[in-house]
Amino acid sequence: MNLLEGEKGRTYKIKSINLEHIVKRRLEILGMTENVDVFLLNKKKRGAVIIKVRGTRFAVGKEFAEGIEIGGDVDD
Amino acid sequence: MINTEDTLNVAFIGNPNCGKTTLFNAYTGANLKVANWPGVTVEKKEGKFNFQGNEFHLVDLPGLYSLTSYTMEEKLSRKYILKEDVDVIVDVADASSLERNLYLVLQLIELGKPVVLALNMMDIVEERGMEIDLHRLPEMLGIPVIPISARKRTGLNILMHAVEHHKNKTFDKIEHHHKNGNHIHNHHEEFAVVYSDDIEDKIDLIIERLKAKYPDMKNYRWYAIKFLEKDEEIIDLYTVSLDDIVDKNYEMEIIKQKYDFIEEVISEVLVNKDLKSASTDKVDSIFTHKIWGIPIFFGIMALVFFFTFTVGDYLKGYIESALTVFSELVAVFLNSIGASDFICSLITDGIISGVGGVITFLPNIFILFLALAFLEDSGYMSRVAYVMDGIMGKIGLSGRAFIPMLLGFGCTVPAVMASRTLENRKDRLRTILVTPFMSCSARLPIYVLLSEVFFEKYAMFAAYSMYIIGLVIAVIVALILSKIDRVKEINTLLIELPEYKSPNARTIFIYVWEKVKDYLTKAGTTIFAASVILWVLLNFGTEGFTGNMENSFGAIVGKFLVPVMAPLGLGYWQVIVSLISGIAAKEVVVSSMSVLFNIDNISSVEGMGRFSAILAENGFTAVNAYSLMLFCLLYIPCAATIATIKKETGSCKWALYSIILQFGLAWLVSFLFYQAALIL
Repeated sequence: MNLLEGEKGRTYKIKSINLEHIVKRRLEILGMTENVDVFLLNKKKRGAVIIKVRGTRFAVGKEFAEGIEIGGDVDD
Repeated sequence: MINTEDTLNVAFIGNPNCGKTTLFNAYTGANLKVANWPGVTVEKKEGKFNFQGNEFHLVDLPGLYSLTSYTMEEKLSRKYILKEDVDVIVDVADASSLERNLYLVLQLIELGKPVVLALNMMDIVEERGMEIDLHRLPEMLGIPVIPISARKRTGLNILMHAVEHHKNKTFDKIEHHHKNGNHIHNHHEEFAVVYSDDIEDKIDLIIERLKAKYPDMKNYRWYAIKFLEKDEEIIDLYTVSLDDIVDKNYEMEIIKQKYDFIEEVISEVLVNKDLKSASTDKVDSIFTHKIWGIPIFFGIMALVFFFTFTVGDYLKGYIESALTVFSELVAVFLNSIGASDFICSLITDGIISGVGGVITFLPNIFILFLALAFLEDSGYMSRVAYVMDGIMGKIGLSGRAFIPMLLGFGCTVPAVMASRTLENRKDRLRTILVTPFMSCSARLPIYVLLSEVFFEKYAMFAAYSMYIIGLVIAVIVALILSKIDRVKEINTLLIELPEYKSPNARTIFIYVWEKVKDYLTKAGTTIFAASVILWVLLNFGTEGFTGNMENSFGAIVGKFLVPVMAPLGLGYWQVIVSLISGIAAKEVVVSSMSVLFNIDNISSVEGMGRFSAILAENGFTAVNAYSLMLFCLLYIPCAATIATIKKETGSCKWALYSIILQFGLAWLVSFLFYQAALIL
């Protein structure tokens, strides 16, 4: 499942990032490394999501959100 | 660059939103020099600060998340820090989001220069019930850590004290719990981050090769890491054959291992990590709501303009009265010393009515910038990027492109520069082309004047409509441009949403003061010069000094262009001359009108009465006035904007496109409006 398919208000773990190298690196520099917890704060029907990673909130556009594979709902 | 014995060069660096500017301002006050880095349009701030008899030369570097060499800001900052004459680096970190901020800290430590970590926003950390072990943190990092609050101005002297004391020191001994382990690479007392064995093996091998080829290099370890990350700049600079060692790009692993270390640090130093107040989340649940987010944003903007017009106009009255008194005093004085008609006319009709006509709008501009400063400093601006992302996506731009457009309501020049945050060049170019349609504050005096004269009680709506029309046209143009470009690439939003905070009075004061100063400087220079030139063009003709403007050079040019502008309802040579002079700066349109129609204090009640009477005599009505407002909204950007577009895009081509596009659109829109109004 990718970030767009996640449910608002839940915490997941980043499994992999399937985006071009340059984007992947930018995301990792911001702390979105593999196995890190992401909390899905908000999402719009078509489009961007707001996540919290390592204590920081980010707005992430649709295309990037689709490329971020998540799994393992930590809340369960 | 100053580098005398007793001046200490201190570079301030930190993540965006870490409060670096507030801290920098706390030391230097409004007393700072803003310039551009050589060759690029990235802003550079410098200031001086005296501490215990020593002079500190402070440089504020751009806010960044990392020190790789991929963006202009990063390259610039890294190059600057690596230079010999930076004595101490002050890394400003937001203590309330320490985890992410530590990444840049680790990169800076690896550079091998003296680093002092300023742990900012400690007041917020306390408010939230979080605690940071300030004893353990410096032990693990090997650098001094000073808790401060730039907003509350605490810890500022201690920070400078630490800077002074660590100018020659790079590392303290690191107390790391791995030190007794049987790690092959036992660097745990030397380096904060020790990588996995395979990477450390490679670092050792690379250092060996580098030492053989470059015996004078400093900090081999840092260069070795850069080679493993395949850093283009370093590879270009140093030709060492390392293909057998660097078999792939280790950058991702290095990032990951740095974050692993950060997790270790956080687990040891941060207490009550999750006990955060949810106030930002609560506010965000309203401001970024999927339905209400957009109406709330438009409501806020409507409020901003409401205050700009009402409060601004109220204050404007006082400046006008003062100006009338001043103008009369000057006239009396000039008569008393027996100045010639020529001089009297130049000073009162040319300079005072020209420059004064623009200065009276200072309160409106002050309020507008005050509001923009609030939006930026509170953290709302980045939410706007999220809220507008859907709409912007439809016109082929990311929500982030909306920030430069929004800043365009203030001044187009910094707005065009702000487009720099967009990574994709085509996105940037399109954003730059549409930003001038966002009505800037210089155009405000034109709307205020014309709408108050012609629309009386609907004045505010008439002026407000300009902002809406500007926005709509920007959207349409962006849409058409994206169709021409056949945008298929991903223009994706990625932006940090900082915690909301109550705006800092000092930061806002300095921000607004900078803008007011710019406005006054412009009034004193560009507008002053334009007023004088205009006065000359209007008082001299083919037969020399002429009392009758109808025979002046200005009139000749204006009259020549009347046929072009007549279909727009703007076939008046005075209006045309005003518009031409408005290219120097848009405020000049107003000052020119006052010079051309010979009205002092044009924005006062009497001035407006005379203005409307003179125009009415010539058949210039509300319809013509609205057409003029539309034309002013859209036509050729001011000289400063044209120059900025040229600089930012690196070619005259785009500046020229912008001029043609805007003139064409202005003509077309005003033409359609005027012709439609005539039929109706």
